[in-house]
Amino acid sequence: MWSVFNLQWLRLKREPILVLSFIAMTILFVLFIGGTQGEQTITVQTFSDQLTESELDEWVDDLNNTSGFEFHVSDRETIENQLKLSQISYALELNYLDYHYLVGQDSFFINAVNQHVEQVYRTKLRISEIAEQFPDRSIELKDYITIELESLANSVSSSDEGGAHIVSGMTLYFVLYTILFGMMNIAVEKRTGTWDRLIISPLKKSNIYVGQLLHYFSLGVLQIGICFIVFDQFLNYNFGDQYLSIIVTVMAFVFAAVALGMLLIGIVRSPQQLQSIIPIVSTAFAMLGGAFWPVDLVTNKFLQLLAKITPVYYGTEALKDAMLYNAGVGDLLQPISILLLMGVLFMGIGLNLMERTK
Amino acid sequence: MLQVNDLHKKFKTTTAVNGVNLYLDQGESVGLLGPNGAGKSTTISMISTLLQPTSGDIRFKGGDVFKKPDVIRPVLGVVPQEIALYEELTAYENMHFFGKTYGLSGEKLKNKIDEVLELVGLTDRKKERVKNYSGGMKRRINIAVSLMHEPELLIMDEPTVGIDPQSRSHILEMVRELNRKKGMSILYTSHYMEEVERLCDRVYIMDHGQIIASGTKEELKSILSSEDTILIEVHQKSEQFIDQLNEHSLVQQIAEVDTGYKVIVSKGADVFADIFEIANASQVKVKGVHVQTPTLEDVFLHLTGRKLRD
Repeated sequence: MWSVFNLQWLRLKREPILVLSFIAMTILFVLFIGGTQGEQTITVQTFSDQLTESELDEWVDDLNNTSGFEFHVSDRETIENQLKLSQISYALELNYLDYHYLVGQDSFFINAVNQHVEQVYRTKLRISEIAEQFPDRSIELKDYITIELESLANSVSSSDEGGAHIVSGMTLYFVLYTILFGMMNIAVEKRTGTWDRLIISPLKKSNIYVGQLLHYFSLGVLQIGICFIVFDQFLNYNFGDQYLSIIVTVMAFVFAAVALGMLLIGIVRSPQQLQSIIPIVSTAFAMLGGAFWPVDLVTNKFLQLLAKITPVYYGTEALKDAMLYNAGVGDLLQPISILLLMGVLFMGIGLNLMERTK
Repeated sequence: MLQVNDLHKKFKTTTAVNGVNLYLDQGESVGLLGPNGAGKSTTISMISTLLQPTSGDIRFKGGDVFKKPDVIRPVLGVVPQEIALYEELTAYENMHFFGKTYGLSGEKLKNKIDEVLELVGLTDRKKERVKNYSGGMKRRINIAVSLMHEPELLIMDEPTVGIDPQSRSHILEMVRELNRKKGMSILYTSHYMEEVERLCDRVYIMDHGQIIASGTKEELKSILSSEDTILIEVHQKSEQFIDQLNEHSLVQQIAEVDTGYKVIVSKGADVFADIFEIANASQVKVKGVHVQTPTLEDVFLHLTGRKLRD
């Protein structure tokens, strides 16, 4: 068994390009997608024909009190020119009792801006109304009483959630590629005859299988390990402190992925067929399983159901729970068990088909 | 040593092997001759325990190889038709790995690798990756790997396909040496007649999954003792010429060869004049007509009506 296991590592050492490129692609994709998913700031040009300069500044200061928005003071003429030249999509006109938008073209962000402006307006108008009820005294808003509702889910920022999602999703997606493409070697070995050489040697067939599968399993775990260390140490992604949960989830996922490889080898008739089916299966599983975006965003019930037959879904969700919400192994028992069950099922069918098609 | 009894193998609707019987004694070199698709490789796969027969049995030194594959596996060497090597590894690494699978290790393994590399003439190139080798060199390493454990029985499935004459000659010489000097029993399949004639003591001729003739080379050639083989060399070939020859009462078989036609006729039949007459009528220019000593190729042609490489 160990001679087969070591041989596969030696072969990998001689031709490591495939694995190295998938590790590099994992990091690149996380950098790219993670980078574009950072918290965005919406910029809004603001002007007023009624308010004085200081009043307008005061309004803009209030509007800028919330992160995610940047209101800039400008004047009508400049703004109208910018709208005509399509340099901006919309602008905000502030009045004493109301506000308007000058819209040059539809914008995805205008609803979010409107919600925010409406909230600030209501607060300010309410304070003005209260002040009017007490004409003798000057009412000044000194401090806010803020009531914060905190739950486990709310304690995680959206950027942490996005980061954990993209890190786990992309890593599992590319490790699926590495394992499946790597396992193509088994199909090639069957075609070229080295597999038969091993079968007629005094080695036990079970040792040949275990040696091969153990190699791809350890390769998958190693790739995920390298990626996670890079994300943790160099890119400052938050992995929490439930390392055991992460390790167990990774191992269960890699086991399911190796078993999936066996199933595919059992189904196809040639390495060429396998080569063409791997990108389809990997990408379909990754997309359905929520490697690229959270499954919650998908509204179609059928697609949500399909997500639950992919190992990527359980792997990603379990990793996110471990990283973000400190879920222990006990908390992740369900997704881990499903991954192991999938692995046993795929492996059983795959081995059976492989032996039959011999 | 090896006994194959009434072996059958069916794949869904095709019968690849249909009642094959053969035997091989210790130290013997036996050829299994037949065209592509005759069932040679399937027979070999079954002898190698890679494929279960539909019926029949194979015994090695009295033991049933399917019930107990271990009776044959440790002492069996198989040289497959394909280059069954890890091409990204060097020749040395391939031999090292396969040697280990047979339980060799340490100095014994190293010495064995050196000895086999010497035998196949690749000692100087042992550190090169197999993928950089020429076709002939790959074939030699393909054989070398099968010799690592000094098998008692070596099965070679078309080991010289697609290689240059020099490598081919080297391989044939090596096989002869293994058989003569080391007493290795060899089952050699090929559709190159001259290889089998050169290497083998006995020959089985196989076609359509059956053994159609067997015996020593002389015994097989004696099948043609009542026939002559005539080689007709022509300037250009003609369908009409073949058709008219076929109609001749003394002509038994005709096959196209590179330079013209090979015709098997009844021994002593005076057909020369008729050949020239038919050639004239078909407007075929004859370069020469020769009576030849029968070869195994002629025996195959006589038995099947086809050439081995058809």
